Amino acid sequence: MNYFPDEVIEHIFEYVGSHRDRNALSLVCRSWYRIERCTREKVFIGNCYSITPERLIQRFPSLKSLTLKGKPHFADFSLVPHGWGGFVYPWIEALAKGKVALEELRLKRMVVSDESLELLSRAFPNFKSLVLVSCEEFTTDGLAAIAANCKWLRELDLQENEVDDHKGQWLSCFPDSCTSLVSLNFACLKGEINTGVLERLVARSPNLKSLRLNRSVPLDALQRILARAPQLVDLGVGSLVHDPAMETFAKLMTTMNKCKSITSLSGFLEVTPRCLTAMYPILPKLTSLNLSYAAGIPGSDLIKLIRHCKKLQRLWIMDSIGDKGLGVVANTCKELQELRVFPSDNIGQHAAVTEKGLVAISMGCPKLHSLLYFCHQMTNAALITVAKNCPNFIRFRLAILDATKPDPDTNQPLDEGFGAIVQSCRRLRRLSLSGQLTDKVFLYIGMYAEQLEMLSIAFAGESDKGMLYVLNGCKKLRKLEIRDCPFGNTALLTDVGKYETMRSLWMSSCEVTVGACKVLAMKMPRLNVEIFNENEPADCEPDDVQKVEKMYLYRTLAGKRKDAPEYVWTL
Amino acid sequence: MEEMVMATLDLITASPHSSSSSSSSSSPTTDNNNHPSSSSSSSSSSLCLSSISTRRTDLSTDLRLGLSLSPSHYSTPSREQRSSFDWPPVKSTLRCTLVEKSQISQFVKVYMEGIPIGRKLNLLAHHNYHALVKALANMFRTTILCPDSHQLPLISGNNVHVLTYEDQEGDWMMVGDVPWEMFLTSVKKLKITRADRC
Repeated sequence: MNYFPDEVIEHIFEYVGSHRDRNALSLVCRSWYRIERCTREKVFIGNCYSITPERLIQRFPSLKSLTLKGKPHFADFSLVPHGWGGFVYPWIEALAKGKVALEELRLKRMVVSDESLELLSRAFPNFKSLVLVSCEEFTTDGLAAIAANCKWLRELDLQENEVDDHKGQWLSCFPDSCTSLVSLNFACLKGEINTGVLERLVARSPNLKSLRLNRSVPLDALQRILARAPQLVDLGVGSLVHDPAMETFAKLMTTMNKCKSITSLSGFLEVTPRCLTAMYPILPKLTSLNLSYAAGIPGSDLIKLIRHCKKLQRLWIMDSIGDKGLGVVANTCKELQELRVFPSDNIGQHAAVTEKGLVAISMGCPKLHSLLYFCHQMTNAALITVAKNCPNFIRFRLAILDATKPDPDTNQPLDEGFGAIVQSCRRLRRLSLSGQLTDKVFLYIGMYAEQLEMLSIAFAGESDKGMLYVLNGCKKLRKLEIRDCPFGNTALLTDVGKYETMRSLWMSSCEVTVGACKVLAMKMPRLNVEIFNENEPADCEPDDVQKVEKMYLYRTLAGKRKDAPEYVWTL
Repeated sequence: MEEMVMATLDLITASPHSSSSSSSSSSPTTDNNNHPSSSSSSSSSSLCLSSISTRRTDLSTDLRLGLSLSPSHYSTPSREQRSSFDWPPVKSTLRCTLVEKSQISQFVKVYMEGIPIGRKLNLLAHHNYHALVKALANMFRTTILCPDSHQLPLISGNNVHVLTYEDQEGDWMMVGDVPWEMFLTSVKKLKITRADRC
């Protein structure tokens, strides 16, 4: 290949898109490394502390799109204390200083201040796309800056962020000249918006394909907006609360009939179940339906709705649909690929969803490959059946509401069930365990889960052997997160080199001591080993024999980070 | 630290055996708790924000001897009773929606000792003692301890508090002794009092 001029190789590389493939290309030889780095436009950084922004910019001068992830996954469940880190400002500052022609920024679990958004909006004249997932600290003032200054903005996608809503009119900050919007998602904002301004914005955005509203947009405004955007492909309804007898409701149904392109539906942050009938015209074409925020819809209404959704590929729903409802899903949605069933009532009354629902789904939906399933109970027999019916699982995440519940029929741990899953699903990349589990399940995982990249464990295992089976067996493991398991120092220290092959390891409420973490940190200088010391006074150095409450370690080329709060000890 | 299990499970003697982890380098439990823990049957919901040094006994083997937790007690893993919180793993944005949706709220008054103006807090926005104490500690910017913590003798000073509540009979009790659901039905008011007063 060295006989080809660079331009030819460059042209070939244009066809190579995925990050992993591009990473592989860059390892072939020096000249490929050079060509690859000069032509790479999209970079994905799974841990923002693994590398400095300066080094990134130096390597990829043509950078246009950057994806960054900050806090560890368990931050979603309040396990990471406030102020831990993941600040995006230094990145934006460095990108601005480096005169990067940034067009797209995608952030997950990062701290995004209004100042960062301000700087972002001013420093990159070609900026087109901002996607913020599970981020925090910004307010609608920051959004106003983005709206006002990003002339060519195509995408503003806010998913599940904690946003402080100031009373300003950020939507009004989109100038009249802004006609380039393709995607606008502000469903997570809690405040009011000016629906007139929104309507006018939609009216002048002929390319708008995705629109997700927040709960402050009432039914009549929804109808007017949809009337102006019949080309929409993805709709997030904010609020669907209305007396169906009124004229506006009839108007909405007529308008929905005209929306021939909608294939994805979500939202329903506030909904009167009777009003769901307005959605019926578009249900037959839907490929994606997200009702996970629509609490309060009785199972019977959900079932009625689902019967119309024959083309569904992705379904996110609450467990109020029940086992019976999942049976209806299994009979109706033959194209189903991804299913998420969320718990509707923490102070549980009746058993909403059990292993029976999952078995029904596995029998009716052979294309299923991604699952997140909150249920009241699970049996080994059910898991074995599911494993047989659906060998194509890529993501299998089970969360039993009583976290250490054994198989209720046999009183056995769920080792055999999960064992069957990993043995049958050879392409499994992500697994979350739940229920009563011994070391045996980890033996199975180490033995069979060859493609496993991410494993989440809680309240499981009996001894260090469990963790060791996983560390030794899963060669492709990238992220391991463990809470409340009896894994200790031996497990942690037996194969320290393993952690450099992984992105990160999280252990909380386990048996690991401070001393062991210190040993690990000393042996592996290219790991940051952080322990969180939330309750001790900051100047009190913890004893070596003390057990660590929370530990997060990750490989890094950036060294010890300088922005860690007081309670984080980087060893 | 010896943790006694919930009333339903007091068949099991929580003997202070060291952690059952086979890790040879793990230290014996720093068992500095010799006083009879009669005051609090530290139920699944009692929590210990304060200390990293406390060690839990591993009761899983005992419990696996066929004693099943009564299903009415939700999500109470035997092993680490204080860490049974933040389960099930649902994102906070979703959790908040559920609470609002249920449209039931249980606002109670909360006072902190020394401050005449109180606050109000929706108990149903939190699912367990841990979340409640965390929210209050944030609201009042102080450290709130759990009742059976043995950090108490070590801490002096004004910025350490414990959480108490007034029950339906008008008595002031320490928060954390009874299961969370039971607490919700009996609590009328909350008070954050100084630790050295209790």
